[in-house]
Amino acid sequence: MLHRGPRPTRPPRFAPGDKGERRKGFHNGCFFAICGAGERSRLGSSSTNRSQLRNMKTDMTQQQAARADLDLPPLRSPASAAWDDLAEGISKSWMWSAMAMQDITMRYRGSVLGPFWLTISMAIMIAALGLIYSRLFNMEMHRYLPFLTVGLVVWQFVSQVMIDGCHTFLVVQNIIHQVRLPFSVHAWRNVCRNLIILAHNIVIVPLVIIPFGVPVGWNALEVIPALVLLAIDGSWLSILLGMLSARYRDVPPIVTNFVQVVFFITPIFWPPEALGVWAPYLPLNPLFAAIDVIRAPLLGEHPMPYSWSVLVITTVLGCVATFALFVKFRPRIAYWI
Amino acid sequence: MAFIRLRNLSVEFPIYQGSHRSLKKLLLPASLQGNLARDRMDRINVRALSDITVDLRDGDRIALIGYNGAGKTTLLKVLAGIFIPTRGQIYAHGKVSSLFAVNVGVNPEATGRENIILRGMYMDVHPREMRTRIDEVAAFTELGPYLDMPVRTYSAGMSVRLAFTASTCIPPDILLMDEWISAGDARFLEKAHKRMADMIGSSNIMVLASHSMPLLREWCNRGILLQQGRIVLDGTVDEAIAAYQRSSEVEPALSEPA
Repeated sequence: MLHRGPRPTRPPRFAPGDKGERRKGFHNGCFFAICGAGERSRLGSSSTNRSQLRNMKTDMTQQQAARADLDLPPLRSPASAAWDDLAEGISKSWMWSAMAMQDITMRYRGSVLGPFWLTISMAIMIAALGLIYSRLFNMEMHRYLPFLTVGLVVWQFVSQVMIDGCHTFLVVQNIIHQVRLPFSVHAWRNVCRNLIILAHNIVIVPLVIIPFGVPVGWNALEVIPALVLLAIDGSWLSILLGMLSARYRDVPPIVTNFVQVVFFITPIFWPPEALGVWAPYLPLNPLFAAIDVIRAPLLGEHPMPYSWSVLVITTVLGCVATFALFVKFRPRIAYWI
Repeated sequence: MAFIRLRNLSVEFPIYQGSHRSLKKLLLPASLQGNLARDRMDRINVRALSDITVDLRDGDRIALIGYNGAGKTTLLKVLAGIFIPTRGQIYAHGKVSSLFAVNVGVNPEATGRENIILRGMYMDVHPREMRTRIDEVAAFTELGPYLDMPVRTYSAGMSVRLAFTASTCIPPDILLMDEWISAGDARFLEKAHKRMADMIGSSNIMVLASHSMPLLREWCNRGILLQQGRIVLDGTVDEAIAAYQRSSEVEPALSEPA
């Protein structure tokens, strides 16, 4: 039978999640209780008939009384289930780090240089671009090359996290359909893999900075909090883009396209000063902010005034928005892919 | 102790791909009628399970019986915690192991040994623990030197041997299986059968979905008959099988192609 319009109302909710029970479940690691979370979103309250609801409630209490010996614990809220997913995912760091390593070693299996091909291809890119564009922009090599190197290395991480992030859940479709794992494991696998690649690329940075005598000071340590923020950004981007792409298959090409365009409109291979009076507005682009907070300290300069604030705000907003969507749509991911 | 409790549990699949018209043609044949609904956004929803309330207790060896599309696989995936129900509640205690497709997580480029570790990882077993079992697994597969070669060089039978052995090396509390796992040649099949028996024997709860009635009779002590996503019978295996065969006489058009 096909019917249109809102479906009949769902059974009434149980009491909100009991904290003690939930913690126990999480530490145990083999203990789960799942509720129908996607329901509230699809059923308008407009269709809820009060007397109907009351009848259902009495039905439920009768049913529950009938099996008092086998009572279920109170239903967990979707938010606590989503939070547990993230926490359980983090606690399985051995799993996603091993998967990320596996991704890298598999990609370079059988090649002599292995993952150092990553380093070499980045070095070749930097050498080629550096040679031509330092002429084009009339900049001296000892200023342009370190600038370009740091920018490209950071950009490589940011852009690849976004592109791979679209496939966070899609590429592991057969795993998601066969075994239960926290969804966040796949996101952290993605971030971890790209951090490993970043570690391979970052060795080029001192090789360029030291010979050219860049005046690096103590503020180079700003790089550490900046990298932590980037890893957090990578996590929420992986979950957010992964969910969006699982639902809407048009998202991956859109993101790929977006990343390509942003590469040219962000000062990575061209100097920010070239923009003249517009230059102070550059940190409004969060991707520029992300590059600036790493690049400037490594070149012995200070990041632009708003770079840090823009990056922190982006991270906070991204985390909050992603968590809200994760709470709502996490139960649907397995159905979408 | 292990248990799974389901209360008024329903699962609905939204179908996003394809045009509605052709989907209607595809999906409307009798066996699925009554399971299709459209929601407010005019998406087609397949109700794969509706209002399932059941308790699985220690010692249960459950046979899931039903026609194609009755919801057997969906129910197994709900029990495994893969599908989160759209309505109702599931509460489970115990380490669940699902054997749906034997070759899940197999990486053809990696060697046999690496794949054993990898398979363990997807079963939530730390590589350290898996390494202590690798010799037992290696001996059982009888693959010898092939274990150090990439799995893509294996014959189909060899890779099934590897995957089967790796995924059955740790006895779970709750074992979920879809269809029977056919593993390799006749001699290995015999070995596999015995290993499976051991594994089922040491698990607390086992759920097996299959169309092979002799197999279900051999392994199970409880039968659940599913029809259009509902439990129509929950009793002994023989009762469930009898009811299944009765209903296939009434509606021969819906029966399995042998």
